[in-house]
Order: sequence, then structure tokens, then C-alpha cells
Amino acid sequence: MSSTVEKVRNIGISAHIDSGKTTLTERILFYTKRIHAIHDVKGKDGVGATMDSMELEKERGITIASAATFCEWQDHEINIIDTPGHVDFTIEVERSLRVLDGAVLVLCSVGGVQSQSITVDMQMKRYKVPCIAFINKCDRSGADPSRVIAQLHSKLGHNAVAMQIPIGLEADFRGVIDLLSMKAFYFEGESGEQVRSDEIPAELLADARSKREGMIDAASLFSDELTEAILEEGAISDALIMDAVRKGTLSRKLTPVFLGSAYKNKGVQPLLDAVNRYLPCPADVGNTALDLDHGETLVDLLPDSSLPIVALAFKLEDGTYGQLTYVRVYQGTLAKGAVIVNTRTGKKTKIGRVVRMHADQMEDIEAAAAGYIAALFGIECASGDTFVSPGLNLTMTSMFVPKPVISLAISPKDNKSQINMSKALNRFTKEDPTFRTHVDDETNETIIEGMGELHLEIYVERMKREYGTDVETGKPRVAYRETITQRAEFNYTHKKQTGGSGQYGRVAGYMEPITEGEDDFVFDNQVRGGSIPTQYIAACEKGFRQCLAKGPKMEFPVTGVKIVINDGASHAVDSSDMAFQAAARGAFREGYAKAKPVIHEPIMKVVVETPTEFQGAVMGLLNQRRGMIVGAQDEGVMTVVEAQVPLGEMFGFSTVLRSATQGKAQFTMEFALYRQIPQSIAEKIAEEVALRKKSAA
Amino acid sequence: MLKNDLILRNPLRQLGFETEDILPAGALGAVLAHAGVGKTALLVQLALNGMLRSRNVLHISLNDPVNKVNIWYHELFQHLAGRYGGAQVSSLWESVLPHRFIMTFRVETFTVPKLEERLSDLTEQGIFSPTMMIIDGLYFDESRRSDLNDLKAIAVKNGIHIWFTVHTHRHESLGLDGLPESFSAVAGLFDLVLELQPERADVHIKLLRGKGSNPAGSALLLDPSTMLIKDKEL
Repeated sequence: MSSTVEKVRNIGISAHIDSGKTTLTERILFYTKRIHAIHDVKGKDGVGATMDSMELEKERGITIASAATFCEWQDHEINIIDTPGHVDFTIEVERSLRVLDGAVLVLCSVGGVQSQSITVDMQMKRYKVPCIAFINKCDRSGADPSRVIAQLHSKLGHNAVAMQIPIGLEADFRGVIDLLSMKAFYFEGESGEQVRSDEIPAELLADARSKREGMIDAASLFSDELTEAILEEGAISDALIMDAVRKGTLSRKLTPVFLGSAYKNKGVQPLLDAVNRYLPCPADVGNTALDLDHGETLVDLLPDSSLPIVALAFKLEDGTYGQLTYVRVYQGTLAKGAVIVNTRTGKKTKIGRVVRMHADQMEDIEAAAAGYIAALFGIECASGDTFVSPGLNLTMTSMFVPKPVISLAISPKDNKSQINMSKALNRFTKEDPTFRTHVDDETNETIIEGMGELHLEIYVERMKREYGTDVETGKPRVAYRETITQRAEFNYTHKKQTGGSGQYGRVAGYMEPITEGEDDFVFDNQVRGGSIPTQYIAACEKGFRQCLAKGPKMEFPVTGVKIVINDGASHAVDSSDMAFQAAARGAFREGYAKAKPVIHEPIMKVVVETPTEFQGAVMGLLNQRRGMIVGAQDEGVMTVVEAQVPLGEMFGFSTVLRSATQGKAQFTMEFALYRQIPQSIAEKIAEEVALRKKSAA
Repeated sequence: MLKNDLILRNPLRQLGFETEDILPAGALGAVLAHAGVGKTALLVQLALNGMLRSRNVLHISLNDPVNKVNIWYHELFQHLAGRYGGAQVSSLWESVLPHRFIMTFRVETFTVPKLEERLSDLTEQGIFSPTMMIIDGLYFDESRRSDLNDLKAIAVKNGIHIWFTVHTHRHESLGLDGLPESFSAVAGLFDLVLELQPERADVHIKLLRGKGSNPAGSALLLDPSTMLIKDKEL
């Protein structure tokens, strides 16, 4: 292990589907000598890429769960998290970004900045992760790195600066010119492992000089020394430029851009150099935790190995030897034998084994110091838990977790499957906070919820493969919601006298829709003069909250409601918590009926990238699905169609799209907003709900 | 209610035109200005006004991506409806959106036959039938004459009117008609030409050419802080 934290890099590799992240990671592992042979994602040798260790991932050619690995390059230790590209697995990307210090944004030189790159970029912004860009697939026909750089400016608002220019493009792509050293680099040997530097070809010299000038100009904004050197017109040292580019990158005000083709083994080694040069070490990034003993005040964490431990569990995996917990150490040293406390549960644990992961292989280590990513064995916890040294009571800020938008009823086919299914669900829900499960108390069905059709499909498939559980699945169901559209008053008295002490409570006030941006439910107590005694106010709130889970209209969850209570009455003997809860429930039903309730459905932002000749057909498909097409963007041979489509209409869309476009179009989908459904559809849903209830009864 | 308010408040009525659309079907209109003065903002407001009256607007941008164009609409709508309540504004925004379709082309690959093909893709499948079109970012000179003739033919055939933005340059000399020379060559094809002229802190909307001219037209301004059209008196 390196002795200094300055030589540690925790990086992620994020990008759009099929931009070649996993292929790039495979090459990085090869050049850093972590693996000794290259296996391609969908390679003929059937081995699959090293990072795609889950059987299912190898089969589908996509990365599902991010695997963590580490490697060494030029005396630096690099921890890499390979992140999934499909938007259904965004939580994996979010979790990775939470613990990373920097990222490599991989872009396809033909596809450019695609929809998923935009999502990933927004996530990077949220967690303030500095990044460098790598334009991959420069050997493909239609490759145009300068267009991609322009898109980085226009679509993502990055101050993207080319650090290299290509030598040839498409089939003629031979190498890169480094604008810092002003040398040409060629990648030779069977797997491009020998980097040969040479003079810049004469025909590219003028272009290289002008691009270098542009690069230095952009970098000079971040360094007074560099600006002075430019003004003095003297020689500008590489170190001065590197320092300025690094400063720009760390402040997220500059994005250095590198080029290559991972598949053709070109440009990967200079990218590794760039990771060491420009991406931050753990000490460059400020991290904070919340102090639970002092009203959740923010506490700065220092990457000092001698301080008490603060570590975050960001990923769980169930392996052959039990639960494996990936942790990022923010402060202190996680050593074998050390005692740690899970802040959420208060449980003390002694660390048995600390390992360093390399996809699905591992290596035992004695300790992981501050700034490192490691994995622990035999620790009982959930994803997102914080571990600290005894005596500390800190928690890392909770991670942003989107709410599920789709659900599916599952039932085991036999008794054996029943037991295994609950084991599998228990594990999956611990691993993935966007995957939830519950039992519907009316139908007694087990319901799984997630972020999209594919998300749930993968879990059902994993149940089968990893737990031998055969389950039958119902039709996917959309997470509809109810809300109100106008203000309505209520004044409800709950009165019961059935022998013994009675029940009495009166609750009056009004409910109104909440405007955007506020919480799902707001409770405002404006009772003056004690018409409802203070001790019953909490019972009133509880009563209202009980009504939110199942709305009176169609039993969908109620959101966007503000309740204000301003009057009421109580009885010295007959009033109780129970009575006021019942009164609040009655008041809710009374007001709700008058407040014009409506049903909202999740609307997805759907982005289809299609060859231009099929764009008419694609728009037709989206239109048939009640989609509102926002626009069509001409990108040369491809057209990007962006639309807002109700999730309920998107089931099976991938099959339809494939057949309509000869398999040449691809689409991504993510939740955009909730919108009121048209009356005709509301009636259809009401019928479905009634039918389901009837069959359950 | 809010919808009616926003339509009534439309200061463009001050230009003194008989129809709400200002341009009749089949006509071409142009907005001239230097870079950054507010051509797109003005046309987006014309579009929003049409959308509020349930007119379908096809916005074609040759410079900006779909998202950026969308931001123009969203921002200007928010400014326009700013004094009304949040929930009402967002539901109105949701209801006018289906009346807009954004199409972007790369300026170097934009051709009229390509546009016509896309337009028929939309209309033949019943996806979207515009009554107003905006073309933002087209470069004008004599060589554009045949393209403009073709566009005029499309406008007549489909019963739509088309607005263009015309980017003028400070160094360019003016012709006898007061129009920049590069535009002068094709100006005959346009039924209406507006110009945005920055004067001190304001931007004046001037009618350079067109029927139904009203001197009140010169009393219209573009507020540089919100990019909204306003009366001089307000």
C-alpha cells in the first residue's frame, strides 16, 4: 500500500450504454498488470470482461452491479468502480459517485454526448465530482472528436479542452498527439502495451500548435504563474500547465479531454497518466459527516489515518463466504481486529478480515487507511450505513434515493421457492435501496418495486439463477398517485357512546394542494385557545397521515396535500388519542371528497436515438403511446427524439422499437414528473382496480 | 382564466394587425437584429401567444439543441405568468406544451427538402400539424432565394405562416429601403419585417415593412431584463 494519500485515486468510470466503459476498464487492468489477458465484453472466447463478473452481465453484455477493483500506475494506487450504464441502475451510479473523488466520463466519438451522459453529468454535479473526459471509439466510422468536444460545451456546459488531437480517424486512427509534451504517441505490440513516442507528423504540426495554444489559454485562467509566463513570452514548463489544468479540473471549471479507442488498445496509458495528474487525491476533496450528538452539525473529516475511524458502507454483496461490505474509509484506519460501531444500529463489531477487491477475486490486507476503498467480511449492515470508532456518533449524509415508479406482483411456484424467494428479496433490498418489496395486505401478493421494467426483470432473473427460485410474475403495475386540486374545508366530529367511557373529538380546518417543490405532505397546526388540547395535536397529525397510504378515490397513495387545522373541540372525559385520530381520518375523508381529487401517473422522459431514416416511424410509435414529443434533434446520420411518455404505455416498448427500426435504434427512459391522467384512462384504471379487488376477494 | 388573461395582455396587439396571428397563412415574416438583442425571445413570445390560443407551433432551430430551445420557452412563460400562483401556472404550462414541437438541424446540413420530409412525417401520421413555424438561425443572402421560395410554397401548401430570425451585422451597410444589403436581396419575399433596435437601456420593436402598419408599433419595447415585450407606457 502506498504510504501517502497523495498517491491514491478513487475514480469511477461513467458513461452512456455501450460507450465502452467496461472495455476501457479491462484495458486499464491489463496495462496495470492486474490481469494478464484481455477478454472482451461480448468476446468470442466466452470469458467476458473481468469486471462483468455476474453471469447475467456476461450474457447480456451490460454491467449491472458495479464491481470495485484497484490497480497501480506509475507509483499511484487507483481504485476503480465500474458503474452500470443503464438508467434503471442509476442508484449504483449515484452510490459510486458518493464515495469517489473523481471520474472519467467516457463518451463515444460517434454518438457524442448522449442522454445517459447528461444524467451521469447531473449526478456528478450533485456530488461535485471533478472529471476528465475520454472520447472513445475514435476508430469507428463517423468518429468526430471535435464535435463531441463542442457537445460537451453546448449540451453539458463543460469548459472542455482538448489535451490531445488524433492522428488519423476512423479506420485510419493510428495514435494521439499529446499537446502538453508536443509528442506523437503510437501504441504498438500485440495489445498496444508498448507506447512509442515520436515527432509530430509534419501535416499535423500547425493544428497541434494552435490547439496547444488554446489549451494553454484555457488553463491560464486557473494559474497566475502560467498567465505571467505567457505574457513574458518565455518557455512554458509542462509542470506549470499541468498544475493549472489540475486546479481547473478540481474546481470543476475545466474538463480536460483525452482520446483513444479502448477496443483497439489506443490512448489508454495516457489516460491513466491523466488520472494521476489531474484527478484529485482523497486529501483534495472535503468530506463532512453529521454529528448526531450536536444536533446534526457538520463535522469536517480529515484523511488522517491516526484519527478515529469514519467509514461508509456503500455496497453489499452476498458471496460464497457471507456478506461482503464495500466501504470507503474517510478518516482513521480500518484494521483487522479493530472495533467499529454501526451508527444506525449502535451495534459494535470486531473486524475479522479486510480485503481488497478485484472484481470477483480478492486479496487479504492488514488495514485500509483513510482515503481507501476496501471490503469487509462478516459485517451485518445495510447499504449506506456509517461505521465509526467507539465514542464517535457521526453519520455520513444520507444518499439521495429516488422513489420506485413501477411494481410487479410475484409468487413462488413451489414451497422451496417460497423460502428462497424471501432470502433473495431480503438480500436484494439490502443491496439496492431503489428496490423495495412488501406484501399487499388485501391480495396477499408479494409486490416488488423498482425503477423500471428492466430493473425488476433483472432481479427476477437473479432470483432464478442465484437462488433457484422460480417465480410467476404478474403484469407490471404503475405507481399511480392521488392528489387534490382545490382547497376544501372540513369540520368533523367523531362521537361514540357505546357504554363505558365514550369517544369524542372534533377537528376543523382545511386542506389545499401543495405547490411544486414542497414536501408530499404538510401539516400545519393553527389551533388557538386550546380548542384542541395540545396533547391531542400529534394524534390529529397521525390520523391524517394514516389516510395518505391509501387515498379514498382509488386507493393510490395521496401526495401533495397540505392540512391546516384551526379549530376543534374536546371532552374532559371522552376525548383520547384514539378519538382524535378517528376524527382526523373522518375530517380527511370529508375534505378530500370536496377537494376534487385526481389521479396522477408517472411520466417518463424517453430519449430514442435512431438512424434518421426511421425517425418518422419512431415518432409514430411514441405518439401512439400517448407520448408528447418535445423535439427531434438532427445529429447527422442519427436523430435523437425526445418525448414524455406515460410509464403505463411503455411496457414492451423495446421489442416494438427493435422491430420498427431493424434493431438500430436504442432508447433510455427515466422518471420525469407526475401528471394528471386523462378522464378516459382514469375510468379504465378504476375498472382495473375494481376487478383486482374483486378477484382478490 | 389565467389563459385568457395572458392572451389579452399580449402587447403585440399594439402593432395594429387585424388577425391575432399577425401573419396570414402562407406568409413569411422576419425579425432583424444584431446578435444577442432578442430575436429568439421575441419569436418565442409570438409562439407562446399562439400556443395559448391552441395554435400548433413548429420551432426549428439551426443553432441550439432541443433542451436549450425548451429553456427559452419555459423561462419566458414563467416571466409572462409570473404574478399568478404556482400550481395554476404549471398546469397551464403542461396544457400548452402539446402545441409545440421543436426540431433542430445542424446549420450545415439543413435543406428545405429535408424539412419538408420531416414535416410530412409529422402531418401524415397525425402527430403534429403546425399552423405557425419559426426558423431560427438561417443565414440570409441572395443564394437563399430559391430556398425561401420553396419555404414559401410549403407555407402556402400547408396553410402555415413562417417567422425567421435574421442576424444582422454592424459593419454591414444599409440599402435604400433601410434593410441590410444581404437581406435586401430577398426582402421582397417577406410580408412583414420587424427590427429590434437597442436604444440606451431599451430595445425598440420597429416595423420596417408590412401591411397594417401602425405608428403605435414603434411604442413597443423588449424589456432587456426579462426579454418580454412591453408597451412604452407601462
